[in-house]
Formats: sequence, structure tokens, C-alpha cells
Amino acid sequence: MLKLHNLSKVYRTDEVETVALDNVNIEIESGEFVAIMGPSGCGKSTLLNIVGMLDSSSSGDYVFMGENVAGYPESKLSNIRKQNIGFIFQSFNLIDELTVEENIELALLYHNIPANVRRERVAKVMDKVGIAHRAKHMPSQLSGGQQQRVAVARAVVGDQAMILADEPTGNLDSAHGQEVMEMLQALNAEGTTIVMVTHSPAHADYARRTINLFDGHVVTENLRAAV
Amino acid sequence: MYFNYLKTALRSLIRYKLFSFINIAGLAVGLAACTLILLFVRDEFSWDNHWDRAEDIYRLETTLQFPIGSDRLSAFAPDPLKDIFFDTFSEVEDITRYMEGSLSLRMEGDVFLQRGLLADPNFFDFFDLEFVQGDATTAFQSMNNVVISERTATNLFGDSPALGNTISIRSQGEFRDFTVTGIIIDPVPDTHIQHDFIIPFNRESFVGSRWFTEDWRFMYRSVFVKFAPGTNVDLVRAALPGLVEQHRPKPEEQAGQESGRNMLLHLVALTDAHLKSHASTADPDVLFGFVGLAFLILLIAVANFLNLSMARTSHRAREVAMRKVVGASRSQIAQQFLGEATALALISMIVAFVLVELSLPYYNEFLTAVVELDLVTGPGVAAGGVLLVVAIGLFAGSFQATYFALLKPRDVLYSNMSPDHSTGKLRTVLVVSQFTISIALMVGAFFVNKQTDYARTLDLGFNPNGLIVVAGTNGDRSDTFKRRLLENQQIVAVGRSSDVPTRGSEDRLTMRPVSGEDLVTLDGLPTDPDFFRVYEIPLLAGRFLTDTEADLLRTREGDGEFRSAVNVVINKSGAALLGFVDPAAAVGQTIPTNLTQTRYLESTIVGVVDDFHFDSARDVIRPGIYYLDERRQSEMTVRIDRRDYDAGILALEQAWRETFPDQVLSYRNMTDLVEAQYQTEDQLSDMLFAFTVLAVSVSCLGLYGLASFSVERRTKEIGIRRVLGARFHQIALMLLWQFSKPIFIAAAIAVPVAVYLVTNWLSGFAYRIDVGALPFAFVCLVAISIGWITVASHAFRVARSNPVEALRYE
Repeated sequence: MLKLHNLSKVYRTDEVETVALDNVNIEIESGEFVAIMGPSGCGKSTLLNIVGMLDSSSSGDYVFMGENVAGYPESKLSNIRKQNIGFIFQSFNLIDELTVEENIELALLYHNIPANVRRERVAKVMDKVGIAHRAKHMPSQLSGGQQQRVAVARAVVGDQAMILADEPTGNLDSAHGQEVMEMLQALNAEGTTIVMVTHSPAHADYARRTINLFDGHVVTENLRAAV
Repeated sequence: MYFNYLKTALRSLIRYKLFSFINIAGLAVGLAACTLILLFVRDEFSWDNHWDRAEDIYRLETTLQFPIGSDRLSAFAPDPLKDIFFDTFSEVEDITRYMEGSLSLRMEGDVFLQRGLLADPNFFDFFDLEFVQGDATTAFQSMNNVVISERTATNLFGDSPALGNTISIRSQGEFRDFTVTGIIIDPVPDTHIQHDFIIPFNRESFVGSRWFTEDWRFMYRSVFVKFAPGTNVDLVRAALPGLVEQHRPKPEEQAGQESGRNMLLHLVALTDAHLKSHASTADPDVLFGFVGLAFLILLIAVANFLNLSMARTSHRAREVAMRKVVGASRSQIAQQFLGEATALALISMIVAFVLVELSLPYYNEFLTAVVELDLVTGPGVAAGGVLLVVAIGLFAGSFQATYFALLKPRDVLYSNMSPDHSTGKLRTVLVVSQFTISIALMVGAFFVNKQTDYARTLDLGFNPNGLIVVAGTNGDRSDTFKRRLLENQQIVAVGRSSDVPTRGSEDRLTMRPVSGEDLVTLDGLPTDPDFFRVYEIPLLAGRFLTDTEADLLRTREGDGEFRSAVNVVINKSGAALLGFVDPAAAVGQTIPTNLTQTRYLESTIVGVVDDFHFDSARDVIRPGIYYLDERRQSEMTVRIDRRDYDAGILALEQAWRETFPDQVLSYRNMTDLVEAQYQTEDQLSDMLFAFTVLAVSVSCLGLYGLASFSVERRTKEIGIRRVLGARFHQIALMLLWQFSKPIFIAAAIAVPVAVYLVTNWLSGFAYRIDVGALPFAFVCLVAISIGWITVASHAFRVARSNPVEALRYE
């Protein structure tokens, strides 16, 4: 699916140079469920942003589905992203002005899909995450767990091959957290590649492989036997 | 996709109701104010352009130049010019003339005073007045026909038919019967050709008819020339001095050189008659000033709109970031925000047009005009409005569009940083600009208002209270009328003169100063002996003129021959101009004066009166000379005892009925005449004030918006300050200071500019207020107070809030 080769990311301000990622080499196969762990500031989110093409690397290669996208312009990255990658955030990032249905539909809006097809697919995915009864609600009327389910639905409605989840359970209580994890697991079982940043070892256990980062380096990679 | 944009935009508007209201209302009020001003200005510039072939019609006007002193400008021209024009210029298609005046109309015993035109027979061919009844071609077939306007028909005949009926019109002292042969629509307000009825000009009905139409010295008629289409009028203009030289009798050939030394002819476009003629009723410079005001208000409104749109950035950043994450391209994001701003601006325009429609009745009443927002009949306004508003929308939207197009989703989705740091500076600049304009406008409005008030408090030099000016008292019954008036104890004094204060005098007389220098010009005024007593004008030296033979300009016997030596009174300025060290020094001096226009009469100064305003109070008082000419005392001024005013008016009416039973009594209060001088300036001053209030309000909306969003952004900082021990008042003061700064900067920019403009404007007044520092300080204080009131609620709310809540917010 993707391969990072000697990838580095350096943030520069006037006086300070911060190395967020230092010669990272990671390979993720199609259909994998990978958890990325590490203490705050170790570069987890930076890594996820680069993988998700929301940020670009300072040096090194990023081969995504056989294409080296490092150095691609924003518009090209945007195109690859919208075809292949879905995002789930800790803070859900739903649009307050749109209903559940419309928030999910947003992910199809920039794909040139006819409205009736969009509606069908949104309905289907809402059923799948169990939020159909809340279709016309606004995000502010939902619980955190429900909001994150909407976010998951939004991430997958476009049939994205890969989902990047940045602490998807960080704002949720344990019951809701588990619910979301089970949903991700089910998606993975259907073949979606999942890359998840998490602080929770318990939730990392859902993944088949855990990559531990520390100060911008990959320190360990643990492969788990299938659960 | 666009439906989704619309949905998001609408819901965002609804969610931030107050904000949306401020945003739309600010622009709408600005646009409405701008529209109202421009409609007024457009109306002023479009006077008389409704006539058929208005662009080919010119009015012939004249300037009489005197060797010294001011020229005499007239919107009339001598009658002989008609034939001369036809003979000289082949381009002339037609010429028509009319004389206008207030004439008495009698209908079944009732007498009405109406405005009449005594017009040439071709008047209706020349001006395409619409006939409701009757026919333009036959209306003037007889000299005894009259064409009346619809309102006159209603006034005189009510519902019964007017056509073919008879009306008596008093002209030159007697009533004559006229047959109604036409009814025309009422004149529109924005034409200077106003009338209630029109009759054919009949030379025979004027005493001394020959001189009336053949003499260059008499100008009583408006003369209109219609040129062939495409005529180069400048070439005609160039030929005018030669034409005067060739045809105008030299002063020595024509007895009585009433006509001045030199005559200039002017061809004034009919459409310029209102603004750029010798009878202008408005000042184009003032109108351009108002266009400037409209532009400034628009600028404030646009700055406001832009500012508030950008303030909302933080609220929309997450949405935009998410849109980008799911694949929106830069251009799609840009389109969304350009479209949103344009739509918002268009909504504002619709609201603005509604506001304009709602305020037009009051506006028209205030302006005594019929300004219309003709969106349907004149699509130019609508199209112009849409274009302007789309431009505003695209301009305002472009800032947000650019900002969001370049926004990195990562910055919003992963950081606590407020995304609108970069727009903060620009927004402060906008608020500073708004307040700069507002403060300058406030200073301007303040001084215009003060100056207008000041003009009103100026000492006129006479006491206008209780003075009544009665028109139409010339003729042999005048003495009887005066005697009858004075029989009443409420009537304090009665005086006569050829003109009355506020209207200016016609005579310009030349005298030689005692030093023997060049001749000087004084404004002359024929009066009667009681004139100064009626007006309560103080005598500084010598005596007033009396009813004795020695004081008269003409002998009472025979033809009223001029006497060879006369006594005159001059004013203080006159004495100074003639070189006397003080008024007393002038008394008893004899100076030759061209009182007869052909001869210099030995004029002995018997008295000097104090200066008094005879023209506009805005003008400087001119040197004046006063003499008794019993043939030129057509205006009668009556002083009524203020304590018994109503009884005085009753006595006046009674005396009139007894003396002039067949005429309408027409009188005006001198206080009204004085007041009328200030009316236009008052009106413009009020207008400036009203629009300044609007401009300041819109600026405050902008500041309010800025404050509300800025305070929200600083919630966390304030929470931390509170946790660290900052007191309520420290926080409140800190915030107040933050919003005072832009106003202080604005004041620093606005005040020097305002000082320059105000000083410049005031220099046009002979009597003007001082430009002190105090008003500026006052206006700045007002601006800062308004600013504080606007932001205080935010500051206090945040300063009082629970710091824990504030910190949890992020």
C-alpha cells in the first residue's frame, strides 16, 4: 500500500529547528491494521499527516500505491487523497452547520457523483455504523460516540482504501471507545487498510502491528498474531 | 455542490444571528444611505431634461458690468435680441419668451393669487407641455385665451368642466376676462418653469408698451433659443460680444443708462438652468460634496462588510479544513467564499432598496422633492446597484477566498492556534479607516452645523420681529392704504422701498471718494422717509430723510423731473468707502452721484445709518446709499406691535379690504424671509448630520463585530490572566484600551485632514466661526465614548466570566 523511505520532517522557526521525524522507514501492506504509539511529541501525528498527504516531508521518499508522491503539488496530493484516504480525528471535526447525513455526504461532494447515488451510499453507510435514525440531526445534538460514528461513516463512504485515525477514541469513554474500535476492526476485516495513532495499549491491541515512535525514530515494531 | 454551499452559508448565517444581522444591516444601511444621496444628486442634475429636445434649448442670460463694484447678473435678456438672433444665426430654429409673476385670478367673486406665465404664442410648440384638454395649436389663437394647469382647474372649478369657461385675471391694474382653452398637466417639481396658468403675452396691456419690447434697458422676460440639432453653440457664444457691440445702443444714444457700462450675453443650456445659471437654485459644488459623502459612507460600509466577513474566519476554518481533507480543491473553496460574500452583498442590496423605498416619502418631504427609486422604469439604477454590489461581494469575498484557499488543513485540525492571526492586522486597519472617515465626518458635520447656526445668530442690523412685507401696494391707492394702517394702534410704523432686505437691491451708483481717487460703487435703494424707523436701523450721525421737497429725488409736480441737488443717507460702510474718518465727518458733504443714470446729481449726505444686511446674511454688508424716489416704492413694510400681533394682522387685512377690494392680500413675515435664506443650508446641514450619524453607526457595527470576535479569541488568555490574579477592572481596562487604540489612531489621522477641510470651507463665508481645538477634542471624545459603549458589554462580560470555563473552552 505505502512505503516510507528515509523520510524526515524538520520544522524550522526563526531560531529553533525541530526534527519531528528522522529517517523513518515504514512499509504498510494493503489490508493491514497498524497502530502507531509513542509519547506526546514523538512525531505520531506528523507521521499520520504526511501519510495522509495533509503535510509534506522535508526529505525522503513516500511511495503511495506505487507512486512516489513526495514533492507532489497540493492539487495532485488532494486528488490522490480524496480517491484513497479517509480520516478520523480525535475531535471528530464534523461541520456544525450540516446534519449527520450532510456531513457524511460531504466526502462524496467533490467526486462528481450524482446526487441520487450519493444519497444511496450515504444511507447505506449510515446503516452500517448505526446512525441512520439520527440522519437529520445536527452534530451538536449527538453524543461523542455518535459523532465519532458519523466521522467514521464519512471516512468510509467514498470506499477509501485506507483510513487514517488520529486517536479516534481519545475523546470518548471506554464503552464508546470500544464501539469505535470494533467498527474499525470490522472495516479492516472487509479489506480496508487502517493506520491508527493511539495512546491506549488496549486499543492498539486491535491492530495486527504496532509501530512505536520515540523522538522521531521508529524504535520497535511488534507484529501480533491474528486475534 | 452549490446547494451544499448555500446550505452551509445559510445555516452559518442563522447560527450567528447577531453577526449576520450586523453584517447585512451594516452594508444595507450604507448602501441605502449612498442610494438616497445619489438619488438626490441625480435629481438635482436632471432638472429640465424631460423636455423634448432639451439638449438643443438654451436660455439667454445677461451680465451688466460696472466699472467698479459687483456685476449685476440676470437670467433675463432684452426683448430686441429675438429678431437679432433670427437675423444673425441661421442655426436658430425658434425662440420663445415668457414673463412670470403672481397675478390675481377672480372667479365668481373669489380672488386667488396664482403664478402665471405671460408667454409668446409659440410657447406650446417650444415646450412640449401635455394637454389634458384642449389643443396646443389652438390654445393661443386669441389674446384672451388662458391655459391652466390641472391643479388650477381643480382649485377654480372643482368637478365642473373648466374648458370654455371664463376667468378674470388682473394685469396692470385691471381685471380682464380670459377663456380657458386648454388644461395641461401640472409642472413637475424638477423644472424651473413653474406655473398655475399661462396667457399670451400682450404688449398692449403694459403701460409704455413700446419700451417694453424695444428697449435694451428693460429685461423682464426669460428668453429661450432652440438651435438646430448639432449646432456648435460655442461658435454662437463667440459671436455674442460682437452682436452686443453692433446692436446695443450706446449709453449716450439711449437716455438713462440703466443698462450699465458693458453687457455680456450668455447661452445657458436649459438643463443647466437649475445649477449653473444666473438663477441657480442649487450649488453643484455642494452636490459633488454629497457624492463624496456617499462614497465615504460606501467605503465605511464596505470596510465593515469586509471586516465582519474576515472576523468569521475562525468559525469557518474547521469546515474548510474538512472540505479540503475530503478533496475540495483550492478553486472550489475560493468559489464557495466568493459566492457567499456576493450572495450576502446581494441580500444587503435588496434590504437597502427596501429601506430606501420606506424612507423615500420622508426623504422627499424633507427635500420637498419627488426623488424616486425607479427600479422598474429606469433599470439603470437596479443594474448599477447589482454591478456595484457584486463588485463589493467579490472584493470582500476575495480576502476570505484567498485565505481559505491557502489554508493548510493540518494547521486547523491539529493545532489550538487561532487561524485568524493573519487577518487581525488587516481588520484593525479597516476599523481605523472606518473611524478616520467617521471622525472626519463628525468634525465636518459639527462645523457645518455650527456655522449654519452662527449665520442665524448674526446681527442683521435691523429687527425682523413683527415686520410684515406687503406686496402689490404700488399705485395711487398706496398712500390711502398707509394712512388707514397707521390709524390702528397695533401698527407701529409703515415704510416703503423699492426692495426689502434679503432680496438685495438693483441700483448700483458711482460716487467719487473725498480723496479724489477712482470712482466707487454703492448699492442704491429708493426708500420713503419712514423706512429706517420701520426697520429700527440706528442713525449714527445727522438725520433721516424727511417728507420735504429738499429731500426728494424728483419734483412732485409735473413729470417727476429729477432735481439738480438732492439729500441722501448712506450707511457706515458707505462712509468708510467714501473716505470719511467717521460717520459724523460725512454729514453735510456733497458728492456728485449718478442718481439719474444720465447725470451726476449733487448729493448731500444728511445722515449716516448703521450697517444692515440687505442681501444674504452670508454676504458681507456692502456700502449703501438711500434716497427718496416716490416712483419706486413698490414694497411696503409694516411693523406690528408684537404684543398685539393677531389684532395687527386683522387690522392689516381690514385696511387692505377697504383699499384694494378687488385684490388678494399677499404678505410675508420678514422673519420668514430671513429664515428662507438659511433654509437650503439648513437642509444640507441636516442632511450631512443625518448621514454622518448613519456612517458612525455603521462604523460602530464594525467595531462591535471586531470586539465580539476578538474577545472570543482572547478568552483563554483572559482566563490565564484571571488565574494568575488579574482583577476584574484590570481586565476590563485592558480590553477597553485594546479597542480605544484604533480610535485614537483614527483621530490622529482624521483631525489634521478635518482641520484643513473645515478651514478651507469656512473661508468661503464673510462671517464665520473660529476653528478652535475644543470641537475637535469634543468630537474625538464622542468617538471614543461611542467606541467604548460599543465594546463595553463584551469587555465586562469576558472580564467577569469564570476563568475555569474560559480555559476549558480551548
